[in-house]
Amino acid sequence: MNPYLAGFLLGLVLLSAFFITGRGLGASGAAKSVVIETIGSVAPEYAKENSFYASFFATGDGRPMRNWLVYLTLGVLGGAFFSGFLSGRAGFKIDKGVRITNATRLIFAVAGGFLFGVGSQFGRGCTSGAALSGMAVLSTAGFITVIAIFGTGYAIAYFFRKLWIN
Amino acid sequence: MGPLIPQGYVNSDLNLFFAFVIGLGFGYVLEQGGFSNSKKLAGVFYGYDFVVLRVFFTAALTAAIGLLLFSYMGLVEYDMLYVNPTFVKAAIVGGIIMGFGFILGGYCPGTSMVGAVIGKIDAMFFVVGLMGGVFFFGSFYETFKPLYEADNLGGILVYDSLGVDRDWFVFIFGLIALAAFIITRKIEDRINGVELLPKGLFHPSYRMPFFMMLFLAALNLYLPQSPRAKWNETDAKTLLGEAAAEVHYAMIDEVAYKLLHESENDLMLVDVRPAEDFQRFALPGAKNLPLKEVLGQKAGKLLDDSNKKVVIYSYSSTDADQAWMLLRREGHKDIRVLKGGLNGFFTEFFVENHQTQSRNEKEQFDTRFRERAMKAFKTGEAAEKIISKGKPVTTIVDIEPPKAGKGGC
Repeated sequence: MNPYLAGFLLGLVLLSAFFITGRGLGASGAAKSVVIETIGSVAPEYAKENSFYASFFATGDGRPMRNWLVYLTLGVLGGAFFSGFLSGRAGFKIDKGVRITNATRLIFAVAGGFLFGVGSQFGRGCTSGAALSGMAVLSTAGFITVIAIFGTGYAIAYFFRKLWIN
Repeated sequence: MGPLIPQGYVNSDLNLFFAFVIGLGFGYVLEQGGFSNSKKLAGVFYGYDFVVLRVFFTAALTAAIGLLLFSYMGLVEYDMLYVNPTFVKAAIVGGIIMGFGFILGGYCPGTSMVGAVIGKIDAMFFVVGLMGGVFFFGSFYETFKPLYEADNLGGILVYDSLGVDRDWFVFIFGLIALAAFIITRKIEDRINGVELLPKGLFHPSYRMPFFMMLFLAALNLYLPQSPRAKWNETDAKTLLGEAAAEVHYAMIDEVAYKLLHESENDLMLVDVRPAEDFQRFALPGAKNLPLKEVLGQKAGKLLDDSNKKVVIYSYSSTDADQAWMLLRREGHKDIRVLKGGLNGFFTEFFVENHQTQSRNEKEQFDTRFRERAMKAFKTGEAAEKIISKGKPVTTIVDIEPPKAGKGGC
């Protein structure tokens, strides 16, 4: 798909999210819900003591999975699968630069995910929730986040070039 | 009218259903845009593939312009949109950590889910790491908290932070994006060894953003600044009918009765006198909406948000009548005017000596009510609410903006 057309369509999706629900899109929120739900059921005592989890159980309805962002993410999974399947892109695969092994790629994928998990909590949202949705409503936070993410990316890209380019 | 759910146009039970449907669109477009491939995503940092930049900025601009357009047309109440709060330090630290995450992992959370569901194994590992990261943050929350919660600036907007006009900010943002689209295309072609595109601005790659910018410029120049919705506008004939029939008057007896019987009070009193007059005295529970501001945003919020029947008053009926006319013209329903205004109200309940030798039963009944009400206003419990040192007073209630939906990522 033409990237501008994809961007335009994505913008319309974002716009309709704002029009219907008054808020944008998000992805890391669902990961947070899964973690909270897991901790809440595996170690309920700990969840009560730790203020990060406790604040959720105190203010939410105690059902982290019955959450707007979780359902949004379920939709994302459905939509992406549908698209990948239709376009013949579904199938087990690892994308990586040619100079690294699969194992290296997977280790860095976990590390990258981990950093994104921490960073998205600090930033109160990830690329979708803080940066993209934030920019759409012209929030200062959205622009700061996007500059910090991409600025850092460009600043350090050289040092990690082996991961991606020849 | 929008956003629909926070304003109550759509039942909030449907919230999760909409979340799922919007998610379907989000996932579909991300996957179609090529965001399921980490190597493609990382390309934005090495110059061999700028698809992320193109999709990302086109989407942000489309949504930002769309929201401006919707608010111009009165389709969306801009103030009710969720604006993520700005915590400068946390946003910068979080962004830097996420920048590292992007280079190392090749995904961001949304795209990793898109990749994982179509079988990208690296994306699945990324998702596992993502949850680990959230867990790590949660475990050391007390340590991170001072930084996480430092310097809350609230839901501030970038054009205010920069001190520029909103529409011009979006326009300039668009120009920057357009420049970025052109420059990155050239970089990409050079790195991939493709011939530089010589065709200038009208090359297909530039056409869409170019026309988008033209459209925005036109919008910016020709649209008046934020007019209110003309959506449900009442036509002149209907209005004339209502005014001539005087069905829009609320009688002082009704208002007095309801002020005295709080449990039956389904009225919202709106005082259209200037703020200074309102501060000196007003009817109990009344909210101030000066006539001059009757077409402003405050009015929309105040009136749309209330389930109560609105009664407007001024000193006499004149200003209130004008306000009523304007508000009805804008399509607001269930609005009446206090007949006789404050003067009528006070004359009847504080000054008048009621004569009981009225002719018919109804008038006698009215008179008896007025006598009782007068007594109540002057001496009873209600007296404390209305009278203080010989002057009627009331507490002034600030109008709180309605809550926008909570958001986040």
